[in-house]
Amino acid sequence: MDRSKSLGVALASVLIGGGVLAVAGFALASSTPHQTALHCVESSTAAHTCNLQLSTFPDSLEGVHGKNGGPHPDWVTYSNDNIVVPANTTIDVTIDQYDTGGSLNNPFFDRVYGTIGGNYTVNGKTYSHWNANDVGHTFTLRGIPGNGKTLFVSVPLPYNHGSKFPVKIGVGVYPKPVVVQFSFKTGGKAVYEWNCEFPCGGSREGQGFGEAMSSFGYMSGTMTVE
Amino acid sequence: MATSEKKSLTGFFWAWGIITAVGVVLSIWLPQRYMPEAMSNDAHLTMTTMILFSICAAPVAAGVYAGALHILRNYRYRGEGVPPAAEQIREHTKLLVTWLTASAILTVFVLVWGLGALASENSNTSSNPLVVDVTGQQWIWSFSYPGSHVQSNELYLPENREVEFRVTSEDVTHGFWVVNMGVQVDANPGTITTIHTTPDKLGVFEVRCEQFCGLNHAFMDAVGYVVTPQKFTSWLAAQPQQS
Amino acid sequence: MTTTLEPTESVTQPRGGGLARRQNFGTAVAGGVIFAFLGWLLARKLFYTGSDNFSDQVAVMTCVGWMIGFWIGIGAFNAPFKWLLGNDNSRDDDLYYAGHNQGRARYWKYTTDHKVVGVQYIIVTMGLLGVGGILAMAIRTELITPGTHFVNQQVYNSFIAIHGMVMILALIVAVAGPWGNFVMPIMIGARDMAFPRLNALSLWSLVSAATLLVGTLAVGGLPVGWVVLGTVADQAGVGMDFFAMAIVVFTVSTTVASVNLITTVISMRTKGMTLDRLPIFVWGTVVTAALALYAFPFFFIAEANQILDRTVSTSFYVATGGGTSWLQANLFWLMGHPEVYVILIPAVAALFEISTVMARKPLFSYRTAVGAMVSLAGLSAVVWAHHMFTSGWAPSLGGPFMVTTELISIPTGIFFLVLIGTLWRGSVWMRLPTVWMFGFIFNFLIGGVTGIYLSDVPLDEQLHGTMFVTAHFHYIFVGSVLFGAIAALAYWFPKVTGRYLNEFLGRISFWLVFIGIQITFGAMFLSGLKGMPRRDASYSLAFEHTNFISTIGAYIIMIGMLILFGAIVTSWRHGEPSGPNPWHANSLEWLVPTPVPLENFDVMPVVTEDPYHFDKEIVSS
Repeated sequence: MDRSKSLGVALASVLIGGGVLAVAGFALASSTPHQTALHCVESSTAAHTCNLQLSTFPDSLEGVHGKNGGPHPDWVTYSNDNIVVPANTTIDVTIDQYDTGGSLNNPFFDRVYGTIGGNYTVNGKTYSHWNANDVGHTFTLRGIPGNGKTLFVSVPLPYNHGSKFPVKIGVGVYPKPVVVQFSFKTGGKAVYEWNCEFPCGGSREGQGFGEAMSSFGYMSGTMTVE
Repeated sequence: MATSEKKSLTGFFWAWGIITAVGVVLSIWLPQRYMPEAMSNDAHLTMTTMILFSICAAPVAAGVYAGALHILRNYRYRGEGVPPAAEQIREHTKLLVTWLTASAILTVFVLVWGLGALASENSNTSSNPLVVDVTGQQWIWSFSYPGSHVQSNELYLPENREVEFRVTSEDVTHGFWVVNMGVQVDANPGTITTIHTTPDKLGVFEVRCEQFCGLNHAFMDAVGYVVTPQKFTSWLAAQPQQS
Repeated sequence: MTTTLEPTESVTQPRGGGLARRQNFGTAVAGGVIFAFLGWLLARKLFYTGSDNFSDQVAVMTCVGWMIGFWIGIGAFNAPFKWLLGNDNSRDDDLYYAGHNQGRARYWKYTTDHKVVGVQYIIVTMGLLGVGGILAMAIRTELITPGTHFVNQQVYNSFIAIHGMVMILALIVAVAGPWGNFVMPIMIGARDMAFPRLNALSLWSLVSAATLLVGTLAVGGLPVGWVVLGTVADQAGVGMDFFAMAIVVFTVSTTVASVNLITTVISMRTKGMTLDRLPIFVWGTVVTAALALYAFPFFFIAEANQILDRTVSTSFYVATGGGTSWLQANLFWLMGHPEVYVILIPAVAALFEISTVMARKPLFSYRTAVGAMVSLAGLSAVVWAHHMFTSGWAPSLGGPFMVTTELISIPTGIFFLVLIGTLWRGSVWMRLPTVWMFGFIFNFLIGGVTGIYLSDVPLDEQLHGTMFVTAHFHYIFVGSVLFGAIAALAYWFPKVTGRYLNEFLGRISFWLVFIGIQITFGAMFLSGLKGMPRRDASYSLAFEHTNFISTIGAYIIMIGMLILFGAIVTSWRHGEPSGPNPWHANSLEWLVPTPVPLENFDVMPVVTEDPYHFDKEIVSS
């Protein structure tokens, strides 16, 4: 085969191969589940403050993963995994906790870390820690060292002991939520990762860190500070 | 019929020398430029070992590369068609013995140094190390100072005091790596693994998870501080007491 | 005068074969799908839906169904079934199975002819490299800057595990599969392998196992890293069951292939082919096969235990039940370290063979070369725990394993001596195989030296789990083994097709891939030195420059490999005709015509000397 024909083969290979790769890449990227971002809502009362509303559910029936709970309707979940907040702002977080609970396996997480005042409120009353055997989930947020923006916020979300289920969201029914509120300040632009540290996922031998706890989009996510 | 005459080896030795020199320079410069700042006795030893092994490897690599270049320059057949047969050399016992001896000596040297470094790392210099319990959990490191009932997500250490890390995990296997101190050990569920080191420089350091542990393995970092012993005591006292 | 390169077989229809006449890859896939569905149905009926293990039990039964259906569909059970009934294959049946008179159709079937199996292995290797390559590009594209972009970390974690295992599979068979099958029997003067039907079985088992492995992408992926460490693997979804089942079948396939290779070389050498006249490539395949026979059963057990943990709640690897993931790690690495030499030795042996022909002189120190391969294989069985230096399993064993591991540098060093010694004072013919061989020499040195760093325990305590390790083994796998495999392909391509692999495109591809490797993995060494952990879906800002450079390098490699692929595809039917012995070599495969007749030799050859006498041309009579 002469040189010009060979070069033609080379060009064709690169174009066709590149095309196949681009299509494969596109297919892989678009099949990845992405949740729409939850933006912190600017407060109408206080300056440099915004409100963030999250919930934790005992299943996925409230619709975040699809109308009937998505592929795993029985998996516990947060209401959002993709949080966006502004920089240099006080974030007032409200978490509605609808799920039952149990004992933390690591008592490190039974106290409040990194919030303004070092405490939080549960249904209006102020606490700095919670009984380690009465926890439903945690909200644990931390910075990624290396970009210089360390931040560590962790609060235990109490066990919801409600026995009646008056709240309807999506196709799920839930008890009155345990309302947890706390605030923290963001610094400069960065991306942080948060996840639950309570063994609320399924797995063998009751270890609790499988399934929902080790799958994207349920009990972990990112917080982008812009 | 075989016609490959011996070509002069001057070029080969020049190439060997130059590539070795370049290799030695890179061996000294690259680790110091790229490795994290060494903040413990172990990390200093690691850096030294890295440089030393690279210097030892330089002439070996240079010899092979110079040999390949020599072949490409002098023994390439540049004609048309099938090359003629070369001299049918099957053995060269002197070269073989020299090579085996040299590689054995080099291997033994590297081994002796390595075993020595390992022994010095393992020697317990202090009878009263600071004990820190390290717990890895998907995907967070938490540290506890049992003597003082303090728990923290940041690793504070006093300078010049040997610290013994007792590492475990609550779920899967994690890798506890104190980056600037050159030590790491896996965190396994149901058991405790131990490493120790002595921080010898003040400053900020990082802890990273280096054993794949699931979804957010990439985000499992922690920050640490080496502080003066006085600052360490006051930090410890200021922490809320855990039961 | 036109040269006909197509086999001039008679146009008569093939006789015999029975059921096999209707069976091929299509019926195999159909059988696999049907039986997988049946397995799935059966499992859902039999097993208790509420148990923690239910989805894993269903997954395992589905995989078992797929395997059995695939084997039925391809015709693997035809002959054994006949034996059960007291019958056997007739001569016509055997000829049919060997692909006689079937033209191109025989490449899609359960064909026993070792030359057909060799070509099938080429196709399977290229397919696996292609899938692994797509995943590699996905990985490097995702890592171009810090943070997650196109895929989330769960999908990324899955990519890296599947990329790893697919590439490992591809490299295990890359040289031993095509050339251990196509060339080796002819090289020793045999008409076929010792167990031709087992030969077809090992190839098609590989295909069915590889399908399961790639299929994990469709059932939730494998976000556990390719070493599937016991604890994190236990947490994973059903993709892990698919992986484990794929491995179970794959290890059976390699065991069967190893037995076949070793028996063939021991018992089917032609008259006069004594052990010291054996071409060095044959020594390489035997040593590899023996090592694989020793090592892969460990992998079988490691994954079988994992399946048991996940389906019937045993606790081999579960800490709360009294088990430990250290058991999985030990079993895995007892396989894993010999396995990398199973990957390396065929490539090195092929390069030894090529170096003699391309330098027109004998192999330098033949007995030392054999001794180096044998001692490398032997030593590789006692070094495994260097992968576990930082696991905390046995700190006191750090010293002993450091000793055994560093000793391996001696036989590996001999490889360089033999290659350089063979080329030195030779008449070096710079054809395409030679070019890739020089690339191997450069890359293998870097890969080997960086391995020595990792074998030192104190250094390993800094470098373990970082991208330094990743760069090290990519220099070995991509920079060395792949180069050896491509050299072998360029060298034996004329024997298979009667044409040269396009030399111009091959050289362009070489330079792109070679330079791309230095950029990608050179920068990756720096990422690792700086402290970037491996298997990280996102990384800190400190590593952004080196990662960006690595990604650019990866695209250069990709272009080079695509050009090579185009060269292979077009040269197969339109390359420059080469004749039966283009390299004027003396080993037996070059003395038979191209295309090679069905039973290789009209008259069995008698060998009187080794194939490395280039000062006299051997005339085949």
